[in-house]
Amino acid sequence: MNLAKFKKIPTGYLFLMPFIIGFLAFGLYPVVNTIALSFTDTTLMSKSSHFVGIDNFKRLFADVVFMRAVGNTWLIWILNFIPQIGIALLLSVLFTNARLKIKGIGIWRAVFFLPNLLMPAAVAALFNALFAYYGPVNQFMVRAGFLSDAMRYLESVGVTRGLVVFIQWWTWFGQTLIIVMAGMTSIPVQLYEAAMVDGANAWQMFRRITLPLLKPILIFVFVTSLVGGMQMFDIPFLLTDGRGSPASSIQTNNILMYMKFASSKGHIGAASSVGVLVFIMTSICALGIFYFLRDRDEIDVKPSKKLLSKKNTERTQS
Amino acid sequence: MNNSYKVNTYILRFLVYILLFVLLTVTLVPIWLLIVNATRSTTEIQQGISIFPSTHMFENYRLLLSKGLNLPRGFANSLFLAVSSTVVTVYFSLLTAYGVVVYNFPGKKIFSNFIIVLVMIPMQLSIIGFYRFMSKIGLTDNYAALILPLIANAGAVFFGKQYLEGMVIQDLIDAARIDGASELAIFHQVMLPLAVPGAATMGIFAFVASWNNFFNPFILISSIGKYTLPMLVQTLRGDVYRTEYGAIYLGLALSIVPIIIIYAIFSRYIISGIALGAVKE
Repeated sequence: MNLAKFKKIPTGYLFLMPFIIGFLAFGLYPVVNTIALSFTDTTLMSKSSHFVGIDNFKRLFADVVFMRAVGNTWLIWILNFIPQIGIALLLSVLFTNARLKIKGIGIWRAVFFLPNLLMPAAVAALFNALFAYYGPVNQFMVRAGFLSDAMRYLESVGVTRGLVVFIQWWTWFGQTLIIVMAGMTSIPVQLYEAAMVDGANAWQMFRRITLPLLKPILIFVFVTSLVGGMQMFDIPFLLTDGRGSPASSIQTNNILMYMKFASSKGHIGAASSVGVLVFIMTSICALGIFYFLRDRDEIDVKPSKKLLSKKNTERTQS
Repeated sequence: MNNSYKVNTYILRFLVYILLFVLLTVTLVPIWLLIVNATRSTTEIQQGISIFPSTHMFENYRLLLSKGLNLPRGFANSLFLAVSSTVVTVYFSLLTAYGVVVYNFPGKKIFSNFIIVLVMIPMQLSIIGFYRFMSKIGLTDNYAALILPLIANAGAVFFGKQYLEGMVIQDLIDAARIDGASELAIFHQVMLPLAVPGAATMGIFAFVASWNNFFNPFILISSIGKYTLPMLVQTLRGDVYRTEYGAIYLGLALSIVPIIIIYAIFSRYIISGIALGAVKE
């Protein structure tokens, strides 16, 4: 009886069951829980907590510290994303160029990707050591005559922010290169041949063929980078003192959330409200970019998409 | 082709190689300095930069352990956690991806889109609610809190879906059905053996993600005996090691060298895996 009922459920659902249960318990419930906490004055120590409405959010919007953290996070992300996508596009074009025939593309790519796999905690500690007052960078700069005196790099707002930007760029440009290049090589060669016959130059081909056809890939890179960037924690947390020093210049959203969570009273209500606001901001930006840009794209290439989906259904039926 | 075109090509190619060597230097110098300094004594490090390794690695190692830092323990903890995370991620993500790719059911398209949306949502920001939930069911300071959520790993499911869609397995599944195999047995006995290359790629990513993860264990794990490597690395910046540079560099090097070795062996899988996870959208 029960077994018969069980057998009526489409088999596909049974395979999805662990994922759905896991998501409800460890994905959705914590989000709901975080939202609920953000409307309370809960602390880690207190037994009781009160509903305080939108007080936490009001306080955050009036708080320079929160606004600065959001600003820092955006600034660091944008400054690392522009050179990241720029270098990735440039190298992809050079690597796929038939005239240049660059050697050892696989090796170059493999090396450029390596930093992405290294533990961010160790990387941050490494740069902390390299740029320490008695560290190798100062030894080099003073001995080579670039600086007359050793400098306290990690006490300078500009240098420290620049370092976080650099480390983020260093970590991610290799991965972006691999993704962008995979997208470029999947563009049919005939398109370029036809353009060449029509007398198009390299820039025209890049602008009119490569970029438009690369759009889905670029959106993917853009959105995943944004989502990662808004949650940036390890590098800015461990590069200096864990509070985003100097002058809170590398204090990101997540560092602020952690500081509220780990404060002596453990204000997890207030910490949750930081998480909720950043969550909403990031999700709106990410999903907005994704759907806004994708829909327009779908209108442009409608005929070919239809053809593709037809092919797909044929394959699954056979 | 005329001569000036050829000359221009040579010049251009030369400039490209210069750019590539600059990027190569920028990429490798920090890593190389780390490895070299891990083998040099603190005095040597203070005397200046060297690009050649020295002979003080074991001395540094003794120094590193002498200050109460239980690095082997952290190493074992991280390894245990990474292996468990890998097994859970690979098994459940392939199971889910298989369900989406092979079966037809109402809501299939919605579920596929939902996976993509999940990849684009910053789940780390719900850590406070997650922490609270774990402390209520007594799982804080327990590795289960780090492993169980991987049952629903959207990124890995997305990758698995892309991978399985590129495999033609329908005929084999039908054949197994005729032989009377149950649906789950088909997944275990027909699909899993065939998907080993994809599972390996997915597994490497899951392993590295767990090995490098700092934020979640940092929030959830509190007893020192359960600290993972990234958490121990964080303590290297503290006062205890203030001037023992050689020991600090060695501690950092030991936490990244295993990953460099894995990468040296599996780099082809890893690089093709990144492209697969993104292309085709």
